[in-house]
Amino acid sequence: MHTGPVLTLDDLHKSFDLGFLGSMPFIGSAFGGLGIKGIGHRVDALRGLSLAVEPGEIFGFLGPNGAGKTTAIKMLMGLIRPTRGSGTLLGRPLGDRDARNRLGYLPEQPYFYEHLAPLEFLDFYGGLFPMTAGERRKRALALIDRVGLTHAINRPIRKFSKGMVQRIGIAQALINDPELVVLDEPMSGLDPLGRKEVRDLIYELRTKGKTVFFSSHILQDVEQISDRVAIIVKGKLHRIGPVAELLESPTAGVEVVLRAVSEAALPSLSGLATAAVSLQGEWRYHLTATDSVDGFIRCALELGASVVSVIPHRRSLEEIFVEEASRA
Amino acid sequence: MRQIYIIALNTFREGVRNRVFASLIAFAVCLLFLTLAVSQASLHEEVRLVKDMGLFLCSTFSSLICIFIGVNLVYKEVERKTIYTILPKPIYRWQFLLGKYFGIGVTMAVQVAIMGLVLFGQFLALDAEFGLLMVKAIWLIYVEVMVVGAVALFFSSFSTPFLSGLLTLGVFVVGRFGDRIATMRLSEDTNAATQADPFVAFLKAAAAAAPDLSQFNVTAYVVYESSLPFSYVYHATAAGFAYAGVVLVLASMAFARRDFT
Ligand SMILES: Nc1ncnc2c1ncn2[C@@H]1O[C@H](COP(=O)(O)OP(=O)(O)O)[C@@H](O)[C@H]1O
Ligand SMILES: [Mg+2]
Repeated sequence: MHTGPVLTLDDLHKSFDLGFLGSMPFIGSAFGGLGIKGIGHRVDALRGLSLAVEPGEIFGFLGPNGAGKTTAIKMLMGLIRPTRGSGTLLGRPLGDRDARNRLGYLPEQPYFYEHLAPLEFLDFYGGLFPMTAGERRKRALALIDRVGLTHAINRPIRKFSKGMVQRIGIAQALINDPELVVLDEPMSGLDPLGRKEVRDLIYELRTKGKTVFFSSHILQDVEQISDRVAIIVKGKLHRIGPVAELLESPTAGVEVVLRAVSEAALPSLSGLATAAVSLQGEWRYHLTATDSVDGFIRCALELGASVVSVIPHRRSLEEIFVEEASRA
Repeated sequence: MRQIYIIALNTFREGVRNRVFASLIAFAVCLLFLTLAVSQASLHEEVRLVKDMGLFLCSTFSSLICIFIGVNLVYKEVERKTIYTILPKPIYRWQFLLGKYFGIGVTMAVQVAIMGLVLFGQFLALDAEFGLLMVKAIWLIYVEVMVVGAVALFFSSFSTPFLSGLLTLGVFVVGRFGDRIATMRLSEDTNAATQADPFVAFLKAAAAAAPDLSQFNVTAYVVYESSLPFSYVYHATAAGFAYAGVVLVLASMAFARRDFT
């Protein structure tokens, strides 16, 4: 066992060549692989990403599509090499084999050997770890039961639904009872019930002392279960912290919704608020910490408007998201 | 070691399951039988013809099937994204590649054995002696196939199946006839300009880099029933596997550097 972060990324950069050669599948990577750079422009998928994940936490890796989440995760898995920067996994450098012994990974939109049925499938993956045949079988049966695929135990994966593939994929990631589980978009493509099942499973893993690092572009999925969240936009870290902290904001204020606002009242009310929007006969005024809520409401009532609601404004992750995305 | 075995076993199962593989074997077996039919037309030469054509078809088809399987192996794993779940497991990339190679090895052993059995049946039908010489010849065909398989795996470790197939086929042709190609071209014109010709230079380099596959072809010994010492078989086998070993090391190096995006 090691102490300290379970996973660190330190100033990771990754550029993909999109030149004439680079854009051709495989040939590009072949030349890249042999150290020959393609001709033409590049895509900077990661531009200096740094973060650390602590033991035992559920860590949400959040960002819009194309932010670089999958690229970062594949680097952690040793599938692609950083252009620059480094990282550690379970206290070891990226790509270390001993670290991979204690790691579980579910790729984005996974595909598997389709002719295999769950038990053979898990036995194949278990065989890549130092486990005896007996251990593998016991563990495989328990996992098949845990992810609710016992009814399909003799069915080849070819005949699985999307949700079932995702579940056998999660079972595959857990075959070695890993300390750290990395899941790339584990909830994408699942119905609400499927999402809840994945959430429950992630919770359960934390209860057992595992660390879970999972990516998503869906805010609710991350918001609901993460201890900490990193928001990544265009290959860079924009924010990192506990969900509650990210939701707090020094500029957070109150939203007052009014009805029956006369034309004459508009200028004075606008003067007292920071922002105003009219929507279907209602007026929504945004008041920040520097505005007086009491004064605003008194004024509104005096001018004949009626107050529909007063909502303390707590920023949603979504707003932060949009804000960060537009700033980047 | 276990990791290599697991990958090899899976590759073998996959290869045997492959419909193209099955149909190619069926085709090769049909051709072998056709040889028998043709040979019965020409009365005196029948045994020689079966030996000559039989060994030629067996070696050529086995190599072609091996190229086909070899160039698709790694590509399929990437294409179907199965490699994303395998490489993050505690397995070195070279172990994965070696597992693939051994998987081809077993698949090809089965396939060469099947063709050998068919040939044996033909010998029985012709009342001819199969003999140790034929066993040696078929063993050397297997060694040749494994050399070709290593080359196929090398190219496919960093390029597309189509390109790998073409390149491996090129190596196969140069390996079988390379010495003849090079001398043919050079004897036509020996002036300095030709020597500097990039094509000639390329041919020479290719002939030098390609394995000498002609050493695995002992058809002449079989047809004329001359003796083939065991030491020849040892040497050819050692040379073949040494070449395959070097190619696999290069393949592992290319594979280790590759990004799986
Ligand atoms: N193999 C590749 N070649 C070129 N560009 C790529 C490749 N893989 C990813 N990218 C680019 O890198 C960026 C990040 O992609 P990705 O890591 O998949 O994002 P995310 O998982 O957050 O949606 C995108 O702009 C994407 O187009
Ligand atoms: Mg992604």
